[in-house]
Amino acid sequence: MAGKSGRTINNIPENPVRKMIFSWEGILFLLLIAINIFCSMYSEFYNISSLLRQMPVYLAEVFLMLGMAFILVMGEIDISVGSIVCLSATLACLSSNAGLPFPAVFLVSLLVGTACGIVNALILTNFQELPPMIVTLSTQIIFRGLAEIILGSGGSVSVSNTAGFRAIAGKVGQVPYILFLVLILAVIYAVVLGKSTFGRSVYAIGTNRTTAYYSGIPVQKIRFVIYTLMGTLCGVCAMFLISNSYGANTTTGENFEMDAIAMAVFGGIMSTGGRGNIAGGVISAIIIVCLRVGLGQRNVNAQVILLIIGLLLICTVGLPNLVKNMRQTRKVKKN
Amino acid sequence: MKKKIISALLCAAMATSLLAGCGSSSAGSSSTTTSAATEAAASTETAAKAGESAGSADTDSSSGSYAGQKIALVGKSAGNAFFEIAAATFVSTVESEGGTVDIVYPEEATADAQIKVLDNLISQDYDAICLSANDTNALQAKLEEAMDAGIAVSSFDSAPNADSRQIFVNQAGTTAVAQALVDAVYDITGGEGQWAILSATSQASNQNAWIDAMKAIIAANDQYANLELVEVAYGDDEAQKSTDQTEALLQNYPDLKVICAPTTVGIAAAAKYLQDNSASCKLTGLGLPSEMEAYTGDGDDYSCPYFYLWDMEGLGTLSAYATMALVSGEITGALDETFTAGDLGEYTITAADDGGTEIVLGLPLEFTPENVSEYAKLY
Repeated sequence: MAGKSGRTINNIPENPVRKMIFSWEGILFLLLIAINIFCSMYSEFYNISSLLRQMPVYLAEVFLMLGMAFILVMGEIDISVGSIVCLSATLACLSSNAGLPFPAVFLVSLLVGTACGIVNALILTNFQELPPMIVTLSTQIIFRGLAEIILGSGGSVSVSNTAGFRAIAGKVGQVPYILFLVLILAVIYAVVLGKSTFGRSVYAIGTNRTTAYYSGIPVQKIRFVIYTLMGTLCGVCAMFLISNSYGANTTTGENFEMDAIAMAVFGGIMSTGGRGNIAGGVISAIIIVCLRVGLGQRNVNAQVILLIIGLLLICTVGLPNLVKNMRQTRKVKKN
Repeated sequence: MKKKIISALLCAAMATSLLAGCGSSSAGSSSTTTSAATEAAASTETAAKAGESAGSADTDSSSGSYAGQKIALVGKSAGNAFFEIAAATFVSTVESEGGTVDIVYPEEATADAQIKVLDNLISQDYDAICLSANDTNALQAKLEEAMDAGIAVSSFDSAPNADSRQIFVNQAGTTAVAQALVDAVYDITGGEGQWAILSATSQASNQNAWIDAMKAIIAANDQYANLELVEVAYGDDEAQKSTDQTEALLQNYPDLKVICAPTTVGIAAAAKYLQDNSASCKLTGLGLPSEMEAYTGDGDDYSCPYFYLWDMEGLGTLSAYATMALVSGEITGALDETFTAGDLGEYTITAADDGGTEIVLGLPLEFTPENVSEYAKLY
């Protein structure tokens, strides 16, 4: 096992917050059950088949959460993902309309996403002193700007041959393909982040980048790979988005970066880096989907749903700190 | 070792989180037949409710035919005063027939947000969805899903494409609008002289359709032979640019008798400019009564003798009747079917420009100095 050093990095010395994060998935899981019970009481139409039927629209964003989890664990952020989705979707639609067969269209979407990811990665690894927030803010504007220029005055494009997109929107029984893909990718990402040397290096970078560098971890290489993969996931997300709306427009993927970050942070992945795991992110993503479906079925104002998610988020971030502070003051009192 | 246990736990948690969705719905998880049975039970329940609400009116068969319908009305986004006028009459019409309406707005004015709303509505066993679409093609997947689920899909104000709806209620046919505008120009000029069009942008499809129809009408009738269309100016639906274009038209064509502005922004800007400068040139077109109230009047003090716009209240009423007729099976949205829309009378389904079918409300509403202040309170 390559793990001795990795393991010590992974298991930061015992402290109460760490323990709490460990059981965070447990708390989330209980919350998921609670929310499902609440939703099925609140909406008479809330059941497994309506949930599965409504899921695909929201699941596309979970792809982004997976990539975002890596970036957040690394202590960084990528807010250009929504724009990458927009650009990928736009070019995929156009290439489909130009007569490319569906697999080629899918490839175009993945390549465009990957290319955008590489642009982010190149800037960030070549100019390491630049903050990722600002770099990806600029590329966010640039990528969406490109999409808007390509889309022209109309601002939208629709695919004329929808056969391929209908196919990927298909279902096995009641379960949509996208759910399988999300879960398979989630397991792969969870294993890579939680079990592999690569994953441990990511935690190491997130905990302390300088120390990671001096202990021989190829920091820039890893950052490059992660930002590039983030772009590829945007391409996947774009394809499934098109399968919902058979087209793209200038607002496609808007605010997706924030949704992805929200899912990850709610799942216990701290934006300060070095903490959290994919399982938490996936459970929190499912919680958010259940909540949106359940409340949506009673035609609750969309803004109210966003408000509830916002409140959950601030509690997520605030609660561990609050507990930590309380314990510390108790310790001080004892002494 | 500890790590392995934890990761195994996490995997288990992930798997069970899926099952949790199943577990919570006691009816749905056992088998599909039971859920079908529950649905059937639910539908008999609604039928029973319908019977109750129809109640005493049971003997009166004519008013009972639409009773108990549950209709969802989907707007483009919240806060569109224009849509809300139609929505208000839509609701009152359906309720007077014994049905219920839920008005739902997406979180933002995009097709993606509307898709989420439609998803929610399909789950809720509505009898019909009537919507104003944010995008022509993007809603097709969801609306087809709705129609497959037996939900009637109608539309007004802004239509989804022909495949994703059963019927579109058109506020006014293109030719009807063009004919009304040409007649107004003919009337105001006195039958001869120069006139110009002040449009929005050169790409606006509805504007261009009206302008082309106006040109066609003038070319086809000798009656309009003495009308000379000197220029089509574009104000880009911006107040300042529309004002500049109006000024330019007056300078270039001193004998200009009428400007016709088939856009609400353009007509308001031109009305202000012409009235402030006491120009002899008059104005007509399509405008909002509230914006045009100050400029509408007979005589030289006012720039606009009369103008047009659709009847949004009538649009809401007609859409309500069309939707209810779809649900009751009276119409299916096929060509040449007819139905009665309450006090509005009988309507026939005609072919729409996009290959689908539509119901045309009728002639645009004329706003004169007499009625403009009354309508100005509405929109």
